[in-house]
Amino acid sequence: MLGTERSTLSELAKMTAASQAERTVLEEEFNWLLKEEVHAVLKQLQDILKEASRRFSMPSPGLEGQLKQENFILGSSTMDQVKGVLTLQGEALTQAIQDARNHVNQALQLLSSRDESYHFKTGAEVNKLMDAVMLQLTRARNRLTTPASMTLPELAASGLMKMFTPPMPGDVMVNFYINLSKLCLTVYQLHVLQPNTTKNFKSAGSSVLHNPGAMFEYNNTKFEVSHVHKVECVVPWLNDTLVFFTISLQLCQQLKDKCVLRQR
Amino acid sequence: MSGNSLVLPIVLWGRNAPTHCISSLLINPRALLFGHTASVTCLSKASAGSDKQYLVSASESGEMCLWDVNDGRCIEFTKLACAHTGIQFYQFTIGTQREGRLLCHGHYPEILVVDATSLEVLYSLVSKISPDWISSMSIIRSHRTQEDTVVAVSVTGILKVWIITADVSRMQDLDPVFEEESKPIYCQGCQSISFCTFTQLSLLVVCSKYWRVFDAGDFSLLCSVPSENNQSWVGGEFIAADKVIIWTEDGCSYIYKLPASCLPASEHFRSNVGKKAEGSIPPLVYSIADRADKQLEEGWEGQCVVVRLPDSACDPELYTPELQYIQRPLEAPLLICPPVTRFFFGRREPFHKLLIQGDSAGRLTVWSIPETSPLQPLSSAAELQVSVSISLQEAFDKLMPSPAGIIDQLSVLPGSNDPIKVTASVYIPSQGRLVCGREDGSIVLVPATQTAIVQLLQGEHMLRRGWPPHRTLRGHRHKVTCLLYPHQVSPRYDQRSLVSGGVDFSVIIWDIFTGEMKHIFCVHGGEITQLIVPPENCSTRVQHCVCSVASDHSVGLLSLRERKCIMLASRHLFPIQVIKWRPCDDYLVVGCSDGSVYVWQMDTGALDRCVMGITAVEILNACDEVVPAAMDSLNHPAVNLKQAMTRRSLAALKNMAQHKLQTLATNLLAADNADKGNLPKYSHNSLVVQAMKTNLTDPDMHVLFFDVEAVIIQLLTEEAQRPNPTLVSPETLQKAPGGADKGGSFLANKIFKQVKETIKENIKEHLLDEDEDEEEEQRRREEKSKSLSLLEYNLTMDTAKLFMSCLHAWGLNGELDEVCLNRLGMLKPHTPISFGLISRGGHMSLMLPTFKDSLLRQLAKGCAEGRKLSVSEIVGKGTYGVSRAVTTQHLLSVISLANTLMGMTNATFIGEHMKKAPARTVPRLTVSLSACMALLCRLSLFLSLSLNRARSLALSLPFILSASRSVPLYPFTPLKVLMCVTGWSQLAAMHCVMLPDLLGLDKFRPPLLEMLARRWQDRCLEVREAAQALLLAELRRIGQSGRKDTIDMWAPYLPQYVDAVSSRKSRKITHTTPLPRQVVN
Repeated sequence: MLGTERSTLSELAKMTAASQAERTVLEEEFNWLLKEEVHAVLKQLQDILKEASRRFSMPSPGLEGQLKQENFILGSSTMDQVKGVLTLQGEALTQAIQDARNHVNQALQLLSSRDESYHFKTGAEVNKLMDAVMLQLTRARNRLTTPASMTLPELAASGLMKMFTPPMPGDVMVNFYINLSKLCLTVYQLHVLQPNTTKNFKSAGSSVLHNPGAMFEYNNTKFEVSHVHKVECVVPWLNDTLVFFTISLQLCQQLKDKCVLRQR
Repeated sequence: MSGNSLVLPIVLWGRNAPTHCISSLLINPRALLFGHTASVTCLSKASAGSDKQYLVSASESGEMCLWDVNDGRCIEFTKLACAHTGIQFYQFTIGTQREGRLLCHGHYPEILVVDATSLEVLYSLVSKISPDWISSMSIIRSHRTQEDTVVAVSVTGILKVWIITADVSRMQDLDPVFEEESKPIYCQGCQSISFCTFTQLSLLVVCSKYWRVFDAGDFSLLCSVPSENNQSWVGGEFIAADKVIIWTEDGCSYIYKLPASCLPASEHFRSNVGKKAEGSIPPLVYSIADRADKQLEEGWEGQCVVVRLPDSACDPELYTPELQYIQRPLEAPLLICPPVTRFFFGRREPFHKLLIQGDSAGRLTVWSIPETSPLQPLSSAAELQVSVSISLQEAFDKLMPSPAGIIDQLSVLPGSNDPIKVTASVYIPSQGRLVCGREDGSIVLVPATQTAIVQLLQGEHMLRRGWPPHRTLRGHRHKVTCLLYPHQVSPRYDQRSLVSGGVDFSVIIWDIFTGEMKHIFCVHGGEITQLIVPPENCSTRVQHCVCSVASDHSVGLLSLRERKCIMLASRHLFPIQVIKWRPCDDYLVVGCSDGSVYVWQMDTGALDRCVMGITAVEILNACDEVVPAAMDSLNHPAVNLKQAMTRRSLAALKNMAQHKLQTLATNLLAADNADKGNLPKYSHNSLVVQAMKTNLTDPDMHVLFFDVEAVIIQLLTEEAQRPNPTLVSPETLQKAPGGADKGGSFLANKIFKQVKETIKENIKEHLLDEDEDEEEEQRRREEKSKSLSLLEYNLTMDTAKLFMSCLHAWGLNGELDEVCLNRLGMLKPHTPISFGLISRGGHMSLMLPTFKDSLLRQLAKGCAEGRKLSVSEIVGKGTYGVSRAVTTQHLLSVISLANTLMGMTNATFIGEHMKKAPARTVPRLTVSLSACMALLCRLSLFLSLSLNRARSLALSLPFILSASRSVPLYPFTPLKVLMCVTGWSQLAAMHCVMLPDLLGLDKFRPPLLEMLARRWQDRCLEVREAAQALLLAELRRIGQSGRKDTIDMWAPYLPQYVDAVSSRKSRKITHTTPLPRQVVN
């Protein structure tokens, strides 16, 4: 009876000693994490994001005069009626790309403020930095993966419609956006609803792609969408950037998980 | 909390100050404002005058809130799709009118001009040439041209100028305003720009790697200073015509004296501009290294200020800024992000120039900037001394008594000073119990009102140790992270079960009546972060589960009935942000923080799909519309069956079958479920305790929400039940209201409805349930008797006691205080009570415990001088001097409750009846007597008779009664009853009419007339009467001139019943003037 008790006691002592040793090891490991690993990951992140940022081919401020021209041929697998040939001039970026680029640059700025010379003292500090970086990266990616859903009057009032010279005819509306790695062009053919029409007028909500039959009111005139044509083309470099974003987000999260485990 | 009902929060902060990571800085607020769902990005003042102190805040998610700083009322809020990063307030002059505008910039290429009172976007400033995000902006008012100029720098370093004329300001439609000028100034990573308000001729641009001074006229570069030692500048400001202050990311600031070439007053102004090659500043700015040897270096300790000069050598002193002061941040360990620094320049006497810094530890540091230059500028840059510095935690620590935590008295271990931190809590309203999980893994069950009384009020309970009686559950090895009481969410769960999760990865089921640990689940590989109840229409198996989320990104369905984990969805790459349900499809939808969505089949545990982007958003949105979808699926069983078949989901099939059976049962019962569904679930809880924290690692602080209307209803219900509480049948209830006072008419419907519900519930139980439930019922009853070991007490009266004691203005009328203490059984507070204010859209502000700091310091001084000054004398009075909105809410509550109590039998907080629910039959006569008294008193109140007259009337009544001698002797003698009634009436009268006189106008903020007027027709009779009495009293107090002012103020917003043709012009004005928002609060 006594013997067993003693043995359990000694076992307990062994266990506490072991856990003490384990604790020291863990402590050391965490210090290594803060001192070495974090910076290694930050370096890796910076490299990836620089690569992503390069894809956005930010026009250097000095080369203002040169207008870069880019052509895209847009098609559709199901319909052949509409073919799109899009020529983008100079900095006529779509808003989504500009926003994504700015978010990436902000993330880079955050990362570059903490170079090798900086000594992280707590896991919370790393977490906070990672949160800020991830916020920017998530936004950058969301700008490319989730096109803005607009109502038809919003679309009609947007700058997209004013971009064209000569201006678009009154019964055609276009939407031009990025969805994932694709450049999409939607053409809406409209017809004016007569004021005395028997049709039940119901204003359409906001959507990325409106269906034929959607109705809206703009400038005191009621319209109905009669035909919708959608063409798209894959932009390879956009796909690259999306991959970069995903990889860097995962890197960030893994680093966060490592820090969280040792935060207590 | 619905916006319409009168709900007052009281907060128990506990000793640990909430984490307050300062991300934007303005002025020092007195309360914490809650309302944003994401972190706050920027703040700005939103009013010009000193009479209205408004503040606007914006968050990452695009929300904007307008707050009244005085009491933390949210006046207006709005949400845009885009996030702002900077807001500036500006008053534009339109003719003679000045209108407040907020200029916002952020993650979008325009500058939005927003109305400062309505938060509506009026118009936007748009770039024609290379539009991009604006990184910072500044507004210049030119006295010469009477035009306002907006200067901004985009992220790509292009300076833009917009001119806002009176025409532009008047514009109502959303036509964009294009820029006047667009000029690349080659400033990458611009952090801030500011205009020199002293000379109005220069512009300071701070970028992370250098700062520059430009001529504000033609934007030519005057001076540029790079940063050194890898520091990055984050902001700067002119502090005098010839001095700038620049601060770095790590919190150091530097004051520079500008060289003569930058000073318009100097003859050398712009002397180096012309010497440069025509406007071509090399875009490469880091070329300092190879030029440095040619340039003069000012070598201070660790400071190396290098100025690029034109190649032709000039006198360097003209162009070299002189570093005068360095300010270094205090050694603050463990900051998790860079501090925020701002420079404030007082526009009024005594012209303070202050540098203020806030950091992630919740510390504010203030430096006063000296006017004079140090005597020997060249020896070494002098270091500025800190003027003031305080952190939130320090302020909390200094308080005596320290801020109360909800169960502090039960948590202080012997030999330690600090209580064990509460890390998770849940309130069970039906039992009035608060369950607190603590840092050491124990869980405490305690009556909420009792423990709050211990923390806030003084009384005999202060002498007892370990009061109130509580129960401790031990099982977790470490911190308890979340608690769930499933029965509260859905009655299908056993009311004994409590579920807890901890950092030890385990989830435990407890029996709260016996304190027994029922089961431990160890299925997760990380700390439990959330416990959720699945929705009603899931399969029966899932219905008896709780859903647990852990920090290893896994989700589990833990069956409380089977005591096993029926599904574990793991391997999500990112932390789980949201759990949604598609019960009819048997899907569990997991939304992760990176925007990805995983759809799991609950029955099989198979991953159905994993999507991202727009599809993910659509799936999450579709889950919100799940209720109509379920209804739909019932109507089209064939379609649903097909779906279930194609998905090969057994659960979905079962679910379908069950749904059909249920429909059948429902039809048989012909129960009007819709009626039941309309009632919000917790609307009847007079008290709700909500735990809050600003950081996951912080301990909980608790906010007690008192719903005045619910307290009144419960008091009246109990009063009505008094005649025959043992047997509740519809017949007695129908009769009861007739005997009760007029509050009963409101009540009658309510009780009747309740009874109907119970009957229906019973029918359902017997029709639909098996006989095993009867056994369960038996057991439950047994268990309930066991639970009596925890103190049984009258929850409603206890709540009212706590609430009234907190609200009463103690120490103003000694006689009344005596009555309150001895006769009515109220208790004096022993610590300052931090109230809160709920305003529009559920936005809330909570007073910090430091709010009455100055008063407490006065108290400490009083004690030192040997004067006897009780805490309660100070803590009671203060709440009526905070703000008009707070006064209104508090007065309404205290008067309406006093009126209700006045109409009740034996409405005192002393005596046996406080221990348990009322169980004695009370003679009808007493009821009617007290009711008649109440009526009398109310009448006197309503007519605002003076207190003395009311009392004399009340006192004369017993004599009349005793003269008639028809009243037999009851346990409560009429005299005693009458004493209570007069006590309550005195209390109400004091708060209604005498407070301004007693407190003095300097310490009393009068109630808001418009808030009272909105309650003129409140649905709760008691609140309505209180509002009417208060409104009349206030109207009388402000006198004729005050009434006239009120009418003048409101006249423009009243409809004008004048001939439409002649008054078209005036009507137009009425339309364009935005309605003041105070009305709607």
